[in-house]
Amino acid sequence: MFLILPAIVASGLMMGLVEALVKAVPGFSDSAWYGILDMISNTAFTFLPAIIAVSAARVFGGNIFLGGVIGMLMIHPGLINAWSVAGMAESDIPVWHLIGNIFTIRQVGYQGHVIPVVIAVWLMCIIEKWLHKHVPEMVDLFVTPLLTVMVTAFLTLGIIGPIFSTAEGYVLTFAKWVITVGYGFGAMIMGALYPVTVVAGIHHMYNVIEAGMLSEAGGLNTWMPVASAANFAQCAACLAVGLKAKNAKTKSVAIPSSLSAALGITEPAIFGVNLRFTKPLLCGIAGGAVGALLGSVMHIGATAYGVTGIPGYLTTLDYPLQYTVVLAVSFTIAFALTWVFWKEDEEDVKKAEEKTQDQAGKILEETNADTIYAPLAGNVIALEQIPDDTFASGVLGNGVGIEPAAGEVFAPFDGTIATVSDTKHAIGLIGPEEMEMLIHVGVDTVKMQGEGFEVFVSEGDTVKAGQRLMTFSIDKIKESGYSTTTAVLLNNSDDFGNFKVIKTGPVKVSEPIITI
Amino acid sequence: MKSFDYTITDEAGIHARPAGLLVKEAKKYQSKIVVKMGSKAAEATKLMAIMGMGVKKGDTVTVEAEGGDEDVAVNGMKAFFENNF
Repeated sequence: MFLILPAIVASGLMMGLVEALVKAVPGFSDSAWYGILDMISNTAFTFLPAIIAVSAARVFGGNIFLGGVIGMLMIHPGLINAWSVAGMAESDIPVWHLIGNIFTIRQVGYQGHVIPVVIAVWLMCIIEKWLHKHVPEMVDLFVTPLLTVMVTAFLTLGIIGPIFSTAEGYVLTFAKWVITVGYGFGAMIMGALYPVTVVAGIHHMYNVIEAGMLSEAGGLNTWMPVASAANFAQCAACLAVGLKAKNAKTKSVAIPSSLSAALGITEPAIFGVNLRFTKPLLCGIAGGAVGALLGSVMHIGATAYGVTGIPGYLTTLDYPLQYTVVLAVSFTIAFALTWVFWKEDEEDVKKAEEKTQDQAGKILEETNADTIYAPLAGNVIALEQIPDDTFASGVLGNGVGIEPAAGEVFAPFDGTIATVSDTKHAIGLIGPEEMEMLIHVGVDTVKMQGEGFEVFVSEGDTVKAGQRLMTFSIDKIKESGYSTTTAVLLNNSDDFGNFKVIKTGPVKVSEPIITI
Repeated sequence: MKSFDYTITDEAGIHARPAGLLVKEAKKYQSKIVVKMGSKAAEATKLMAIMGMGVKKGDTVTVEAEGGDEDVAVNGMKAFFENNF
């Protein structure tokens, strides 16, 4: 859902501009220009299942072209358009009776659906991978694609499509209910929870809801004001920190972060500033909640998703005044509360300075032999949350996942390099007490063949905790469609009865994260 | 002692993740299991040693098992290599 964002942004912004022209220029909607611009701007939404299918296939590790076939099958012109079915009598809809009345398929497409497409492609990827493993290599090239498409097609049109398009309807109805219930009270709760979901990294799930809302006939994204209010309030809280802080480092992080948050990119503001000081995050939550409430009461709807903050004006051209009110209120409350309640802590300032130095790869002078220090800066998550079954199941030992904030890996302890993978994405180390540690950057990144990775050590090298081992490109991993979550695993954790993760959430390089 | 030879067909060779699965499989058996390639050898229960061998596609490895359940171990490991590498 995240990969297709450029297509959605292009279409959404263009739709907004076309609508603005219709309002500004009398008779524009009858002109040839309107005809062609309208067509171009709605292309991505008309064929949404096709591009969703391609991106889903990439995320789930299947062949993207087979994914494309499944997506296009679901909006095949041979099926009746889902949008025109609404006006038809049930008896007029043609049905294929494949096995009498036992196995039937209604000849209706899935225009405007998101969840059934994602589920169908997910299933396709499982089938494809299973076949690759079990079909003899000699005939794999012919048999696997054929069977993958055939089996998935029947399951999709026969079972998954009907079930999950109904389920999707419920999800959307529920989402709409939440943001309108109790005179905007539901929206207020969602506005308050939004930054929390950003911290947890699960906010991309809203894209599914938003895409679903948009692809309904004449649909508007009414979720957007919730996100926008929440984001803009975090921007304001971060700006308040930046203006109030005396410490130069805090200032130099907070001010640029708040600017990027104003443009809708809130991760630097939330992780880098607001979450670190906690109070600004809470003040931002308060502002976002009130803004979301107002957005819901005024029924603001957007023509795209993934665009919030100032650029959000372009997708809410029908509501410029209302949108301004939402942003202004969220901003004012969050800024004022942060300004009043957040105070710079002298000791915090000192600590922050020390830690920033460590981040540059400073070798630790004193280390404890029973401690593993964070090899990367980022967000530490539990082993079970690593998006890969092998790592998450603990087969490779106990440990943690780190969602990297920067593409640099440092030695987690004093030790030796046991192995460096040829594809440069994984390093094995032996540390104090015979600890065997694997640092595996990203999931499935073996397939990148070393592209974007650089390793500075080789087998047998002695390293000190905090020494730089490798660099990698977060952007390249994301572009290739893989997760950047890095597994930090103590392979022989069974030998260490006192294994304990002592730190989760955001960490700096060389902060203690595990003790044995 | 029982043994078998196996030529790796997986594109990526024995890289980090499948090496972990190999270790898990090897730990199921009481027999001591050793993976050999040329002059290199590694105990199948030691992940770092296995990864350090750098086994690639087209390489042939010899897997040896010695101990009380060596027959079962060799069959199990053989099936594992065929399914994963």
